[in-house]
Amino acid sequence: MKFSLNGLYIESYTKCANCGVLIYEASAEDSARKKVHDGSIYCSQECVDWKLDRDARRAKAAV
Amino acid sequence: MDFVTMNILESSMVSLCKEMGIVLMKTSYSTIFNEALDFTCGLADMNGDMIAVADYCPAQIGGMPLLVKSCLKEIPIDEIEEGDVILHNDPYRGGLHTPEHTFFKPIFVDGEIMGFAVAIGHIAEVGGMAPGGFCGEATEIFQEGLRIPPVKIKKRGKDNIEVWKLLLANVRTPRVNYGDLRALIAAVDLGEKQMTQIYKKYGKEKIKETVNDLLLYSERRMRAELEAIPDGIYAFSDTIESDGIDAERTYTVAVEVHKRGGEIIVDYHGSSPQASGPINATLGVATSAAYNAVLHMTDPTIPRNSGCFRPIRVMAPPGTIVNVDFPAPEVGGNTETHPRIVGTILGAMAPAIPNRVMAAEGATHCNFVFGGVDADTGEYFACYDLEAVGWGGRAFADGNDGVDSINGNCRITPVEVYETRFPWRIESLAFNVDAGGAGEFRGGVGYSKQMLCLNDEIICSQMTDRHLLAPWGLNGGTEGGVGATLVMKNGREDWQTMREAYGKASTSRYSNVSIRRGDRVRLVTPGGGGYGEPAKRDPAAVAEDVREGYVSKAAAQKHYGYQEA
Amino acid sequence: MPDRKIIGIDIGGTFTDFVSYDAATGTIENWKNLTTPSEPIEGVLQGLGQVDDVASVDKIRLGTTIATNALLTRRGAKVAYVTTSGFRDVPFIQRGDRRSHYDITWIKTKPLMKRADTYEIGGRFSAKGELVTALDEAAVRELAATIKADGTIEAIAVCTLFSYIDPSHEQRIRDILAEELPGMPISISYEVLPKWKEYDRASTTIADAYLKPIVSDNFHRMQKRLDAIGIGDRIGVIKSNGGESTLKGAAEAPVQMTLSGPTGAVVATRVLSELTGIKNLVTFDMGGTSTDCSTVVDGMEHVTTSFEIEWGLPIQIPMIDIHTIGAGGGSIAWIDKGGMLRMGPQSAGAAPGPACYGRGGENATVTDANVVLGRINPNYFLGGKMKLDAEAAHRAVKRIADQLGLEVDAAAFAMVQIANNNMLGALRAVLLQRGLDPRDFSLVASGGAGPVHICDLMDISGIPQGIVPNYPGQFSAFGFIMTDARVDRHRTVQQISKYFDGARATAAMTELVDGAIAELVSQGYQQKVEIYRSIEARYFGQNHELELSFPANQFTEETIASLWERFHEEHQNRFGFSIPGETIETVNLKVVAVAVSEKPQMRELEKGEGTPASSGSRKVRFEDGWHEVKTYDRGTFKQGQTVAGPAIVEENASVTILQPKQTLRVDRLGNLIISA
Repeated sequence: MKFSLNGLYIESYTKCANCGVLIYEASAEDSARKKVHDGSIYCSQECVDWKLDRDARRAKAAV
Repeated sequence: MDFVTMNILESSMVSLCKEMGIVLMKTSYSTIFNEALDFTCGLADMNGDMIAVADYCPAQIGGMPLLVKSCLKEIPIDEIEEGDVILHNDPYRGGLHTPEHTFFKPIFVDGEIMGFAVAIGHIAEVGGMAPGGFCGEATEIFQEGLRIPPVKIKKRGKDNIEVWKLLLANVRTPRVNYGDLRALIAAVDLGEKQMTQIYKKYGKEKIKETVNDLLLYSERRMRAELEAIPDGIYAFSDTIESDGIDAERTYTVAVEVHKRGGEIIVDYHGSSPQASGPINATLGVATSAAYNAVLHMTDPTIPRNSGCFRPIRVMAPPGTIVNVDFPAPEVGGNTETHPRIVGTILGAMAPAIPNRVMAAEGATHCNFVFGGVDADTGEYFACYDLEAVGWGGRAFADGNDGVDSINGNCRITPVEVYETRFPWRIESLAFNVDAGGAGEFRGGVGYSKQMLCLNDEIICSQMTDRHLLAPWGLNGGTEGGVGATLVMKNGREDWQTMREAYGKASTSRYSNVSIRRGDRVRLVTPGGGGYGEPAKRDPAAVAEDVREGYVSKAAAQKHYGYQEA
Repeated sequence: MPDRKIIGIDIGGTFTDFVSYDAATGTIENWKNLTTPSEPIEGVLQGLGQVDDVASVDKIRLGTTIATNALLTRRGAKVAYVTTSGFRDVPFIQRGDRRSHYDITWIKTKPLMKRADTYEIGGRFSAKGELVTALDEAAVRELAATIKADGTIEAIAVCTLFSYIDPSHEQRIRDILAEELPGMPISISYEVLPKWKEYDRASTTIADAYLKPIVSDNFHRMQKRLDAIGIGDRIGVIKSNGGESTLKGAAEAPVQMTLSGPTGAVVATRVLSELTGIKNLVTFDMGGTSTDCSTVVDGMEHVTTSFEIEWGLPIQIPMIDIHTIGAGGGSIAWIDKGGMLRMGPQSAGAAPGPACYGRGGENATVTDANVVLGRINPNYFLGGKMKLDAEAAHRAVKRIADQLGLEVDAAAFAMVQIANNNMLGALRAVLLQRGLDPRDFSLVASGGAGPVHICDLMDISGIPQGIVPNYPGQFSAFGFIMTDARVDRHRTVQQISKYFDGARATAAMTELVDGAIAELVSQGYQQKVEIYRSIEARYFGQNHELELSFPANQFTEETIASLWERFHEEHQNRFGFSIPGETIETVNLKVVAVAVSEKPQMRELEKGEGTPASSGSRKVRFEDGWHEVKTYDRGTFKQGQTVAGPAIVEENASVTILQPKQTLRVDRLGNLIISA
């Protein structure tokens, strides 16, 4: 989530593509944990892994 | 761990939260506070973790840690001073839905901030396109009322007049809102004052250490409860009938519950993309709903704090009905989609823990809201009101008849209070016969409330559900009865749906219908689904239901082969 | 003629307590014998057998559990419920909330009658009291015929919408039913509770009808037995408001008997307030299975209307506000799933009782912990009438200690601390949750276990002063000899300050006062009647009220103006804010009428000084470890003497444990006044 330079309003909302939590641009903690995978932003590696597991599981179920 | 101090501190803090709630109940103006008790009072540590709570309304429990944490991301802790009170309601910054207002006040001990006293309450009138905050046809959050980012409504003990003026200029009932906001502030004032004394009595270090232990204790108990549930991946889904805008589209709430060891992960992937209308849930709602479902499946005596939520994870993909993206509308997510999510999770877990679930309950609060100018006093009135539904049958008992849906624990407003406050005459309040799904244990029934309009005009809106898609039964139980909202216009003799009478897209979600003097409205709330094969039902229970009028003879014959003695 | 000889009798679950007062000699005596649960009058007559000349007794006041038990065990009448057309389901829908969140096993509370026995009658008033639909009298007569044909209905409850504004429909329904069904007990909501909120009023009215036959039969039998020994005309029973009523009066409004016995301790505390001049007292009545707390503020008992028979079934008649929790000497220690020590609410009760009773109880209880800690003398329990098994107490507590990895005495101390904290919850409920500051109060200990824990509770509650009154073990029965005949009447009369009609308020207040006095007179109370008036008001829009006293029946410009002013002040005091200039709404008018009886005179103790002689010593464990502590016999105390803690004061039915640093002073009447 990105605030305007003057801090008075929100310019854009960023959420983890897997679990949906807000990722604050100004938060050092959030920045340190976040991962980009396949063009999407994730809050953490754990969420990337979860997504990959789910995709694999659902692909297997479809076969 | 010092269990003795922990036991004593925990009960003192919960008792304090209850005292905050009593002040709120006794001083607030809206019936949604003082009759329905739609609020929650709690205490948080300085990280925003909830350390104790009196959750008068369970829908708010998961919201509390998220709310304080997201506010602290915007207001750095070193900018918070003694005597400040911070107000916030923004659903897109950790909030639940627009009417839910959160107040928190820092607890300072010897100049050091230790934590916060928190009160969350439902403000009945929040501005926006329809009186009463529930506009069934909103397509943007801006139509749903005033959005308040974290702001200081009090600074160092003094009212921040500019904020008050902005707030009260944007609502229809400023006198009532003023009273409600004052009540919420009185609650956090009390919490702050008494928690400071508790800190002084035990010492800051002792409390920090004990609170830490308390959170660990709750976590350990929650893990032990979860470990007792068989591991596995459990999936289930349910369908919401309409969003108030597109009459033909339905929306899926899908869950995959991963139970592994002492952990539970609720994955909502597969749920529908977000709706155009206001049935979307925010992340706060999706999180609260998962917590609520897990609390229903586990031992209710575990002290409720952030510790017991540590073993629970929620994956709510953005842009879906369970995690809406800005700026879509969202007011119904908290009241309607929340219980639907809880029911879906319970449905998923039914094969694993049949004694800890129920068939679908009514899963709506009915949310019939209205406002207008009183012909006698000239004052603007606005009301948010809710109704009770039938519970689903359980593996060991029938569903309860006429109980608030699973995410609230609100009281319905007495007829004599309702008529004294608002220009309606209630003509009947009666259970719906045969509305409980059949089963070895039948579903509970909902009821019908019929009202006559006594004002020249009352502007009505609604956000309800289950008019078309009935609550499901479980393990062979049949569906519960659907709800309805019907209107009989003055001079007519037939009941029409809002779609028929006013051309609305949906019968269950609509805004700003003009009800005139002499018109009648009938609200029918849904029943719950049945549990187990109807053939297995105890014949004595069937006979008792017929005698007591919950089941007609015809229905008893059809479902249970009832023969009159 | 004033009563020269009075006996107070409290029929409890296990014991029936007696306290007698003889004005000729100024003596007070107390005794107890076992209760006969099947027919309580037997235990009463047995106890009265100890009185020399029963026929010379002027007054006997009884606390009885007949109504309480009938409600709790659901052994009342088969009631037909009659209400406004469209609203038969109100008692079943209730308020739509549930007992607790997250409990999927919960089963909604059922009302006291069947849905098949509910009947609707046409006729309606509006919220402003205008007639909307006339009463359908023919339907009432038809209903009477149905009930007659049915033949199983034993009582009728009538509650119509807005009857607190206009009762004429309810009254007419009653008259017609009485005419058609002679002898049928009928309760109408306007007479039981003329206040708004239809479910609460209906629930209360149904409870009244439900109790009528059983209470009436019971009192009738009791009356016959007492007539036989020549004292039938001198019996009063204690109502939920702590006041006396005749047996006949009580049988006509039996819901008033819901809470009888426990009110005695509160009345006794009010008397203690008068005698000692201490204005604010909080009661702490700790027995075997439960503890009752209540307050006396500015010399008056606190009255509530929010009692529930069980969760969700309200009885809203005014009764003394007693908060009961399931924590007492018999509360059992257990370790929860997370390893935390908990006390109660399961109780060992009287049988098998705590492990130390030696009746086969294995579980460690609060009493066992008190024995281990040396606080209770196993050789002097109930004045030596019962020997306790200290070894059994030790064994039971050791099982808990082993699970916690603690020494036995440390575990016992933890058990007592947690039990104390549970009881602190009850004190918080009657003080902090009502906006009362513990620092303004004195704690009054009664019940067998109250004096054992009083000093602990003072310590953790911040209450600076404690009192162990005389007869702590029979305190309720003592309260009965000190009470008066009393009637409480409430009525909802809503008005707002902007358009306040003083004449309307005056008329309603006058009617309430006249009605209350008439009720006392009709029961034969001839003495002077004192009237206390109050008004419940709130900011217009709020839904809960603050109570303000009011000086007269008449509402004058001055008294009305002062009422508004006092409301703002009271709101500021209670909730920390007020809204100057805001419209105020009056909701309920309340009247208490008291027919004052002459009170027994308490004898002063002989004057003394210094510290009384100690009777011995024993080891007691306090927070900082074991102390060798002196024991004292309360019977030897003289007025003005003091004892410094730690100390143990033993008496017949109880023992007081004084902590280190606390001191105790004997007042002129023999009350033990403890200061922190």
